[in-house]
Amino acid sequence: MEMFTQTIAYGILVGAMYGLITLGLGLLMGVMKFLNVAHGTFIVLGGYVSYWLFTRYGLNPYLSIPLVIVVMFLIGLVVYKVTLSPLLKLPSVGNRLNSSMLITFGIIYVMDNLMTIFWKPDVRSIVAPFTGRSLEFLGTKLSITGLCGFAVAIVVAVALYFVLGRTQFGKHVRAATQDAEAASLCGINVHRTYLISSGIAIALAGVAGVIIVSSYSISPNSGLRWLLVAFVVMILAGEGNIHAIVPAGLVLGLLEAVGVFIVGAPYRQVVALVIFIVILIFKPQGLFRKRRLTYG
Amino acid sequence: MLEASNVSAFYGDIQALWNISLAIHGGEIVTFIGSNGAGKSTIMKTIAGLVKPKGGNIVFEGIRLDRLPAHKIVELGISMVPEGRRLFPEMTVLENLEVGASTRAASRLRYSNVNWIHELFPILKERSKQVAGTLSGGEQQMLAIGRALMAQPKLLLIDEMSLGLSPIVVERILQVIQEVNRTKKLTIALVEQDVGIALSVADRGYIIEHGRIVVEGDTKLLQGDGRLMEAYLGVDLKGKAE
Repeated sequence: MEMFTQTIAYGILVGAMYGLITLGLGLLMGVMKFLNVAHGTFIVLGGYVSYWLFTRYGLNPYLSIPLVIVVMFLIGLVVYKVTLSPLLKLPSVGNRLNSSMLITFGIIYVMDNLMTIFWKPDVRSIVAPFTGRSLEFLGTKLSITGLCGFAVAIVVAVALYFVLGRTQFGKHVRAATQDAEAASLCGINVHRTYLISSGIAIALAGVAGVIIVSSYSISPNSGLRWLLVAFVVMILAGEGNIHAIVPAGLVLGLLEAVGVFIVGAPYRQVVALVIFIVILIFKPQGLFRKRRLTYG
Repeated sequence: MLEASNVSAFYGDIQALWNISLAIHGGEIVTFIGSNGAGKSTIMKTIAGLVKPKGGNIVFEGIRLDRLPAHKIVELGISMVPEGRRLFPEMTVLENLEVGASTRAASRLRYSNVNWIHELFPILKERSKQVAGTLSGGEQQMLAIGRALMAQPKLLLIDEMSLGLSPIVVERILQVIQEVNRTKKLTIALVEQDVGIALSVADRGYIIEHGRIVVEGDTKLLQGDGRLMEAYLGVDLKGKAE
C-alpha cells in the first residue's frame, strides 16, 4: 500500500512537470499553428541559463525563473522575427505547419552545436542544498525539487490561462488564431500579437528548463527526450486545447508511474510511447473535451 | 472625407480595379452596385487595407491609406464589416464585441460602447455568453456590424450586407444603419447585391462594371434612369413584371 501511494505521489509530481514542459509547445501549435520541434532544445537552453546563473552567481534556480523568463522571451522574439514570421506569407495553415517543422528542425542543429561550444557536451545539473531531500507526508516521501516543480507548473499554467482567457491581449491572440484577417480589421496588429505569443511560448520552455535542470539533468542534445514527452502530452490533451495540457500531463505521469510500477523502471519511455501510439490509434482528438478559453 | 484617385488593384496577375477615382463625403451613405465580380468588394478591401493598390492613392482626412496595414487604418477611423461576417466563431458574442474595440482609443470606451450596441441590437445582449458560431445568420450580421461599430469608426464599410438574410432581418439592420448614420453622423459605404435595397438607403451610388466606375450620381437620379439600370444591372425598377 505504501509503495502504491508513493507511486501515485511520484506520478502526480512528474505529471505536473510534464504539463509544464508542454505549455510552450501547445501555445505555439494550438494558437499559431507553428509546430516547434526545437521546443525541447529551448527547454535545455532555459536550463543552461539557470545553471549558469547558479554556478556563477549562486542564484537559487527557482529564484532565477524571472530572469530566465526575460532572457528566453527575448530569444523567442528573435526566433519569431528571423525564422517564423516569414511563414505567415504562406497560403495555407498546412503549409505553415510543415514549413515551421522543417525550420525548427534546423534550429535544433544550430542550437545543439552552439550549446556544446558554450557549455561543453557534459551532462549538467544544479545541485543545491535541497537537492535530493524530501518531505514526508502521511508516510509518503515527496522530493523538494518535485514539489517545487509541481508548484511552478500550477502557477505558470494558471497564469497562462488567465492571460489567454481574461486579458485583452489573450482575446487578441485568440481572435488572430481564428481569423487573422478579420482580427486585423478589428485593429489588431496580428504580427505583433504573434511576436509576443512566440516570446511567451519560448519563455515557457525556459521555465520548464529550470525545473528540469534542478530535478533532472541536461546536456546539449537532451532536448529530444523532453520534446517526445511534450508531444505525448499535447496529443493526450487534444491539439489546441491549452486548458487540458496540465491535466493531460498528470494523466501521463500517473499512467507512466503505474506502468513503471508494474513492468519496471527501464521501460519508462516505452510506457509513455505505447500510451502515445494507443491514443493516436483510438482517440486522436485527445482525451479531453475541447474547451474554449473563455469565461463568458 | 475620403478620396481615391486612379486606384488600380490586382489579385495575382488579374487586374480587379482599373483607375478608380471616387470620393466619400462626411455624413453620407454611399453605395457601390454592380454585378458579381465587378469589383465592388475589391474597392472596400482596398480602402480597408486588405488589398494593396498597385497604383493611385487613397487619402482619408489628409492621410494616405494605401501604404498602411489594415490595423492602422482602423485606428484612423475606418471599420469594415467583411463579406461573410468573419466573426470569431469560438469566442462569445461579448468577446467578439470587445475584440472590436482593439484600438487604444476604442478600448477606453469599450464598456459604454457595448451598452450602445446592446441598445441597437438587443438580441446581442441576450446572446452575450453564447459562442458566435451558434448564432443565426441575421444575428451574426448584427454582431459583425456591432463589432465594427465598437472600433468607433468615422467611416463604416459594409460588404454584402443582405446576403443570405431574410427580408425582415435586412429591414431591421437597415433601420439601425440609417439611425446610426443620422444620430452619430457616421459615414457609411455599402456594397449590396440587392440594388433595390442599396438605392433605397443610400444618398449616392457608384455603378461598377469590370473593375471600372461607369456611372456615379445621386441615387434618386440613378433610380429615375431606367435605361441606365437596365443597361448596367439588368434590373427594371420602374416598369415591373408586366
